[in-house]
Amino acid sequence: MSLGSGDLITVGGEPTPDTLVAEGLAAKKIEGRSPWRLAMARLRRDHASMISLGVIIVIVLVAIFAPVFAALTGHGVYQEFRATGLTPEGLPVGPSGTFLLGTDDQGRDILVRIAYGARISLVVGVLATFLTVVVAAVVGLAAGYFGKTVDTLLARLIDMLLAIPFLLFAIALVSVIGPGLAVVIIVIGFFGWASVARIVRGQVLSIREKEYVEAARALGAGPWRIMVVDILPNVIAPIIVYTTLLIPLTIVTEASLSFLGIGVPPPTADWGQMINESSLYYTSGAWWFLLFPSLALLITTLAFNIFGDGVRDALDPRGLDQLYV
Amino acid sequence: MTADITPTPPSPADDDVLLRIENLVKHFPVQAGSLIRREKAVVHAVDGVNLQVRRGQTLGLVGETGCGKSTLARCVMRLYDITSGRIFFDGQDISTLSARRMRPFRRQIQMIFQDPYGSLNPRRRVGAIIGDPLAIQRIARGKERKRRVQEVMELVGLNPEHYNRFPAEFSGGQRQRIGVARALAFRPRLIVCDEPVSALDVSIQAQIINLLADLQKEFGLTYIFIAHDLSVVRHVSNSVAVMYLGKIAEVAPVEELWNQPRHPYTGALLSAVPVPDPDHAERRERILLVGDVPSPVSPPSGCRFHPRCPKAGQVCVDSDPPLEPRYADGPDHVAACHLPMADGEDLSKARPAIRAVERVIESGIQGGA
Repeated sequence: MSLGSGDLITVGGEPTPDTLVAEGLAAKKIEGRSPWRLAMARLRRDHASMISLGVIIVIVLVAIFAPVFAALTGHGVYQEFRATGLTPEGLPVGPSGTFLLGTDDQGRDILVRIAYGARISLVVGVLATFLTVVVAAVVGLAAGYFGKTVDTLLARLIDMLLAIPFLLFAIALVSVIGPGLAVVIIVIGFFGWASVARIVRGQVLSIREKEYVEAARALGAGPWRIMVVDILPNVIAPIIVYTTLLIPLTIVTEASLSFLGIGVPPPTADWGQMINESSLYYTSGAWWFLLFPSLALLITTLAFNIFGDGVRDALDPRGLDQLYV
Repeated sequence: MTADITPTPPSPADDDVLLRIENLVKHFPVQAGSLIRREKAVVHAVDGVNLQVRRGQTLGLVGETGCGKSTLARCVMRLYDITSGRIFFDGQDISTLSARRMRPFRRQIQMIFQDPYGSLNPRRRVGAIIGDPLAIQRIARGKERKRRVQEVMELVGLNPEHYNRFPAEFSGGQRQRIGVARALAFRPRLIVCDEPVSALDVSIQAQIINLLADLQKEFGLTYIFIAHDLSVVRHVSNSVAVMYLGKIAEVAPVEELWNQPRHPYTGALLSAVPVPDPDHAERRERILLVGDVPSPVSPPSGCRFHPRCPKAGQVCVDSDPPLEPRYADGPDHVAACHLPMADGEDLSKARPAIRAVERVIESGIQGGA
């Protein structure tokens, strides 16, 4: 029995009306499934990522509705409850009915401060990362595409930035300008872009040699059109992966800066700062003061990391080649 | 590397010539040094090529991998800046035009690429890819563009309903059709086909070749057809140019090249073409060339082919032969050879007049014959 290329294989031999209808329906839906849709489908199937995404959403909601926490408990974020929140010796009070997660050394409600601290962490994490990635993408694209002198200059600039010790420079900068939210964002963004730019530049260098870029040049496309239409979509996948993995890094960096005292200044609620302040007190038994901000930081970072891994696997299931099939 | 080549004198039917290449040279610098790039040596990718293509005809361009045919194609397309020489398209010199001035010419010269998988952006829909020429050259937009794209899709044998599909959803042959559609979108006059069928199955090759032939008839296209498969080239071309190590070895009308090759390299290539009839295949003599293709960084002195030539003589080591008619050939059949093959000469019986060791020392091949 020989089969032609167009035969429908059905039990019984003759194509039934159902199969013909199905074929007709399939023919109508000739809208291709874009690589993005396929990636989203893969991501949705990854349970760990979906759970992490849920956690992230919860954290975002907590940050947005932080005033609700303050209203419900009746404790303001800066309010010091010296009478009820501190022991007669002046030490923090543990978790109880009034203070669900205990108080800190100034008698402030830790639960409310953690909620407000989420704002700082998320704002800095997302904003600084966004700034970093945009600068890195532009620089990486320019360096990779234009090559020669532009590339040499930018590549050396990137190498220099990567060689500068981040912490020393951050301390120096903050001591000159003074602490504040904007400074933290700028400092983190200023150093973060170099490593992402290097990755972007590498990708652009390899994509630039692809035949479809040559074809675009043969058609008379200018450099900007090629960069936006041909190169950028193929480079954006690694950029997205890096962004999702850079956010937790940024959050931890910000917490570290605050821990060292060069981040957001007190009395603004900030996880890193709370961890710093707690270090004097947990030997006296105030474990909640250290534990809860640390847990908050850990859970946030873990959630972003796991989600980032999931995004990378979704965009890149078979190793780096799959991104540019 | 002094080349004693005079440019091809304009032939009488000059208004018939769509593309003329004069003494085209393309060298790539081999760079050394990391901080400041010093030029260490030069790759002689294309080293003085003279060619003509007539309107409505197909010029086949054959040669080994690395002989410079793809580089030549890209120089014609002005994808590379040429080192020296001139390119005339329809009488106009396009060799040194700026990107802006070159743009209108890009509507008339287009290219079909070899790799059907790499020449299409995997993240864009097929309709967008084919519509690219119209978008870039601002010829049509919106509905009009879609209509023209679907029109050209039908021309090349693709289902216009597949406008929104991605390249990954097509087979290799269909992808190559997409490439053809893209090249055809604004009805160019010259299409450079860079090994358009090398990556395809033999049965699909036939389809694409027939498609190209039909399009040529319908639109009066001119092709430069680059390939290394001689049987394909024989089928599609009107005249054929044979290239070796950056220079043209021989140019002739297709049947003349097959029946009376002048250059020994052509003779060797032709003897390597598989013949369907097994008895015939057994009877004929294969001419095996000794050694490998020398490096284009330091090509051999004199005639570049002399280290591997079965007929090499001292004159071949000393001077570079000009590309001109040999024996009693007409002006259409030129060869660059001091000791060309005579009619019916059997190359397998030829013996080189210079010793192998001399040839190795002369040309600087490592581990030669």
